[in-house]
Amino acid sequence: MASGRPAADGSPRAGAVPSARRHRLLRLAVLGGGALLLLLLSPLLGTVPIPPLTVLDLFLNHLSGGFLFSDPCAGLGITATKCTAYGEIVWEARVPEVLLAVFAGASLGMAGGTLQGVFRNPLADPFLLGLSSGGTLGAAVVLVLHIGETEEYLFLPLFAFVGACATGLAILAVARGRFGSIETLLLVGVALSNLLSAILTLFLLYNPISSQQVYFWLLGGLGEATWIGDGVALGVLLVAGTLLALLGRDLNLLQLGHDVAQTAGVDSRRVRIDLILLASILTAVAVAFTGIIGFVGLVSPHVVRRLIGTDYRLVLPGSAAAGAGFLLIARDLSLVIFPTSVLPIGIFTAFAGVPFFLYLLYRSRAASPMGVAG
Amino acid sequence: MNPPGPPPLELETVRAVYGERVALRGVDLTVGRGTLVALAGPNGSGKTTLLRVALGLLPAAVGEARLFGTPVDRLPIAERARRVAWVPQSESPRDDVRLFDYVLYGRYPHHGALDAETESDRTIAIRVITEVGLADRANDGILTLSGGERQRATLARALAQEAPLLLLDEPTTHLDIAHQLDLLERVRSLTRERGIAVVAALHDLNLAARFADRIVVLSRGQRVAEGPPAEVLSEELLLRVWGVASERRLDPRTGVPYLIPHRLVHDEPGRGEIAGFGPIHVVGGGGAGAPILRALADRGFRVTSGALNLLDTDAEAAEALGIPAPLEAPFAPIGPEVRARHRELIQAARVVVLGPIAVGPSNLANLEDLRSEAGTRPVWLVRENPAGAWDFTGGAASKLVEELKGLGARSVRDVPQLLASLQPLASPAPPGGHGSDRDARPTGGVELG
Repeated sequence: MASGRPAADGSPRAGAVPSARRHRLLRLAVLGGGALLLLLLSPLLGTVPIPPLTVLDLFLNHLSGGFLFSDPCAGLGITATKCTAYGEIVWEARVPEVLLAVFAGASLGMAGGTLQGVFRNPLADPFLLGLSSGGTLGAAVVLVLHIGETEEYLFLPLFAFVGACATGLAILAVARGRFGSIETLLLVGVALSNLLSAILTLFLLYNPISSQQVYFWLLGGLGEATWIGDGVALGVLLVAGTLLALLGRDLNLLQLGHDVAQTAGVDSRRVRIDLILLASILTAVAVAFTGIIGFVGLVSPHVVRRLIGTDYRLVLPGSAAAGAGFLLIARDLSLVIFPTSVLPIGIFTAFAGVPFFLYLLYRSRAASPMGVAG
Repeated sequence: MNPPGPPPLELETVRAVYGERVALRGVDLTVGRGTLVALAGPNGSGKTTLLRVALGLLPAAVGEARLFGTPVDRLPIAERARRVAWVPQSESPRDDVRLFDYVLYGRYPHHGALDAETESDRTIAIRVITEVGLADRANDGILTLSGGERQRATLARALAQEAPLLLLDEPTTHLDIAHQLDLLERVRSLTRERGIAVVAALHDLNLAARFADRIVVLSRGQRVAEGPPAEVLSEELLLRVWGVASERRLDPRTGVPYLIPHRLVHDEPGRGEIAGFGPIHVVGGGGAGAPILRALADRGFRVTSGALNLLDTDAEAAEALGIPAPLEAPFAPIGPEVRARHRELIQAARVVVLGPIAVGPSNLANLEDLRSEAGTRPVWLVRENPAGAWDFTGGAASKLVEELKGLGARSVRDVPQLLASLQPLASPAPPGGHGSDRDARPTGGVELG
């Protein structure tokens, strides 16, 4: 940037410094705007074809409690019964699904950004610490033991959430004594993840009937979206996301290492625990309502760093926006390509994500992804 | 001298451990305001550990580190950062953060979680960047900086903390000589102009002597020397702590002492045992004694020499090695006063060595004194070239040498043979026993057979 160069007298121009930051904020805004646009357009797509304008009318009708567009299907040749069914579809399925994609995507993106920062590792993602295994095991407990048969929609996410959070806490507890090394933590997580997977396999081995359900859950999807679930996910995202955003500066300093950060005033140990805990909670809430959706948490922070730099105060909200947008794209893509079938969305995040990720790596092969070699 | 108030840094009998390994064994240290203290010592002597304890990164197992009077472990982490800043040996940033933003990180301890950086933070960042001479790089990514610039960037980040105490860990390690001088010059001016107290761990004793007000030497986790450079820097110190034979000189322009390292001696067999054995008196002259003096001094023997003439090669060698030797005026015959002192040295010696000197009327006295004073002491004659003309006294010198031989003096061919002959005298240990502990000292007198 020409505006970023220092003045001729050798002293950096005071005006030059904030302008670069404004530039990055603008990109962040564009990213957020793009995600918002996707959010508005996504409900138009679904397994049942409904004319776009009707979707809009139905949505506004429900949103206003029947006050606006009291006869949303008028003049379209759609029967009243069908109109009511369309209304149900839009309001009870599509909108909650799209919102879930946003909240879960944002949670995963932010958790990924946080964990990549904490571990100073470009390969870190929300499922790294075995949080997915913990969540799956929680879900499997419900499905295998048939807990709360009729209230499965309530117990499944609850157990999954508890399972994922408990895993996060267990890792922190195990690593407590030797917290000096972040690598130790990572290894404990990987070990625990394997242990949980083994337990899950054992579970399914003796309950083959449930394994189909668990398998589908493992692939992840938005099909179980409900307004209540969305409300919970939003609540958790807002609280954990805000707390994380406030730790952006601490995360910046942690990039210099535990000791340097601490001598600069960061309570490195505590901040690391806070960050991992918050990332675990965000991951857990996403896992609870969508199952395991891979790649969102890994790719989103990379895209954001590429766009707006390495300042975690911007990377974290940016990763949330990118994660939301990414999951929406994956959902929409699956509906465009296979309009009538409900395929697990995890397949599409991989299909859309992997080529893009490889492209990013190709572009940045000169400068390594996080500025770190190897 | 010092303004009132508790000193920036105090260490009281600090013991620090890494698991089983003891890194500091009861170290005391006080750093006053506006002083630059250099922390010297071999690798693994505890310099970095000492800094880590002072920073509160490593708790003292025993004892206490205090920052401006308050124990560091009782200070909140942000308050520590307002009192002391750290320049680590090398920082490996992951991200290509702009230098300006990187330096702003140093403002962290001055903010709450919700505060944004203020205009004054930016002003401070620009000021310290300018101070370290990187104003033209303020908008560049730190990964694009050279090694020297990176080190100065780290210094700027630490300075942005505006802490009155600054700890530097080997800040010059990756720098060339010009950047070493530049960095230390900047650091020293901080102590002079702003009263900042600085502790810098430095490998290079000469750099330390040049810039520090005081030098603290650590060896194996203990403080083995402390004081102004002129007092601390000595050949004895370099030999004792580093196992390096050296020569002490004074910088004629600054009056600051410096050491010229000669060679490593600590890993030679038997050095641990012979260290301090002596004195061995060497009769030299005309350069014949210098190789013997150097070899003996390097091995850790205590050595004396004489009687020599000023400007003589051997006299210069003795002076350089810190070997006491009575000196006569240049080119003059050895006079009675010098002879008297020479005799005293021979009497005080445990072993006497006669170098392959040429003897004429002016230095025949040396042989006469050797003959009369040697007594029952072992005498070695180093006669490298007995066939060559060396006796310019008409046979008097040859006669004295023969008499010495008659009294039991033994001839050796050269310096290595001399050293081999001296070895059993100095170390009663079986031959081939290697001295592993280079700080070891003979505990009792070594008796001659």
